[in-house]
Amino acid sequence: MEFSNNLPIYLQIINQIKQDVVSGKLKAGQKMPSVRELAENLMVNPNTIQRAYLELERENITFTKRGTGTYLTLNEKIIHSLRKEISGKIIQDFIEGMNKLGFSDDKIIRILQEHL
Amino acid sequence: MDNILRSRQLSKHFFQKKALEKVDINIEKGKIYGILGPNGGGKSTLLKLAAGLLKPSSGEIWIDEKKPGVYTKSIVSYLPESNYFYKWMRIRDALAFFKDFYRDFDIEKARENLVFMKLDEMEKISSLSKGMLGRLKLTLALSRNAHLFLLDEPLNGIDPVSREKIIASILNAFNKKSTIVICSHLIYYIEKLLDYIFFLSEGQIILQGNAEELRNKKTMSIDQLYQEVFQS
Amino acid sequence: MMSLLKYEIYRRWKWLVIRYAALITLGVIFYNRTVVAPMQYEIAAASMGKFILVSIVVFVIIIVEGINMLKEDLFEQSGYLTFTIPRSGKSILFSKISLLFLQLTFWTIICFQFGKMFFSKLPLKEISQITSQIDFPFFPSILFIMTAFFNFVLMVHFSITLTKTLLYNKKYSGIISVGIFFLLAYLIEKFYYGPFASQIQHVYIEINNTSDMSMLSAGYTSVFMNVILSVIFFSATAYLLENKINI
Repeated sequence: MEFSNNLPIYLQIINQIKQDVVSGKLKAGQKMPSVRELAENLMVNPNTIQRAYLELERENITFTKRGTGTYLTLNEKIIHSLRKEISGKIIQDFIEGMNKLGFSDDKIIRILQEHL
Repeated sequence: MDNILRSRQLSKHFFQKKALEKVDINIEKGKIYGILGPNGGGKSTLLKLAAGLLKPSSGEIWIDEKKPGVYTKSIVSYLPESNYFYKWMRIRDALAFFKDFYRDFDIEKARENLVFMKLDEMEKISSLSKGMLGRLKLTLALSRNAHLFLLDEPLNGIDPVSREKIIASILNAFNKKSTIVICSHLIYYIEKLLDYIFFLSEGQIILQGNAEELRNKKTMSIDQLYQEVFQS
Repeated sequence: MMSLLKYEIYRRWKWLVIRYAALITLGVIFYNRTVVAPMQYEIAAASMGKFILVSIVVFVIIIVEGINMLKEDLFEQSGYLTFTIPRSGKSILFSKISLLFLQLTFWTIICFQFGKMFFSKLPLKEISQITSQIDFPFFPSILFIMTAFFNFVLMVHFSITLTKTLLYNKKYSGIISVGIFFLLAYLIEKFYYGPFASQIQHVYIEINNTSDMSMLSAGYTSVFMNVILSVIFFSATAYLLENKINI
């Protein structure tokens, strides 16, 4: 995974995990890699991973079962709202980008229909 | 105290040279630190003072609140830049040596790491390539359950494949009870491992801070920041 | 401490084996010559003389190696290992001195054995005539010489260590150590042994009124003084190794 410098690494990791949840790469209830494992895979400081996991847990995207590890939520509602949140952001960025190029909202709809 | 290494106005002078000038440094337990800077800036000197190989010219340094001595040497794992092995040794002799002198040496872990690093115990150390030597030194240093790891330029002269293995080993050795201090001028590869960094140049700390915060504040990588700071 | 001694031996085991194997082998070879030519005292004397020469060479090698044991660790790369392991300066120095001591003891035993063997091949009657006239304290003198050499090595160790404390590089260390050593030797001679010179006697021997030999002799007092000096130099060197040296 490539990291950019514009965003704290732990946030980039959170975003990547969220994306993977939405895209289905990570399934509901799936066991997350341990802090150490993920740190080694990404070649990143374990404390950074720890921070990301803490945040994910705070947002209820993951939960920890004592002694066994960290798991993705089984709550479909949370995953659904996550899907909305992420796709919403992509769409928002897209619309803003197109607007900057001079496309009005109607033009956007038409050009989308052409492409899809 | 939560500091594993602490110094107060630490200075080291050699005949002509002032290697360290009144350095105050605090290193907390359970984190990975980077001491970054150009060669000759004082990084190795600082590490050697912590390892007990050098004695301060003035000022003080404490390891776990104790002055460097026999006890601190037993809890510090120092990885020097040079080849420090006795010339007659084979790799398995080096293993036996570490086992004999360090109570916290985990020989099973060392053997596993040797396999991971693709090193054969029966090899003569004098016949190892630079990359293999680097991997061996690191294996031995990291196979100890030390409280403080001092790694002096662990990636120097290391090929890309070895480099990844070395980084993986460093991460593997990390735990909340130990602290890792890495000195390097090859920042690009290690910066994401670091919690906190010090820029050391001409014997003084010219910049320090939490790695993530610095990256975000300056919107550049530590590597880029380094180039900016040391270009002038 | 045993681990330190173990590695001091490991480091140079080949040299150790070679030197004692050579000493013993040559001793046997020379002794054989006296056996095959009994009553030929010139051969016996010559063989004994050759053995003495060999044993002196081995002795010098032991002493020089004894000095190098510390010099290597102070000025070469091996010092990194030696001085980062959790062992005190005292232990490190003690292990090196112990190996020296073991070697000197071993050497003495070998030479003594061969000495007895060679001596038995010499004309006993004539020799006992000479030896009965001499009031020569044999054992203390041997002890004095041994402790003197032991002390010599410790003095050199101290000189080298003091030099390393003062200078970080290798550059002028040789000359400075030698300088320090001679200064110490001079001071010791003047202030330490000087007042007790009467203890160190010279013994004159007359043989048939035609020649006389003088041999250095000594009482146990001087042996004791050597031991005291050794302890002083050992402690001083150990202190420097622990607290003052920079590798």
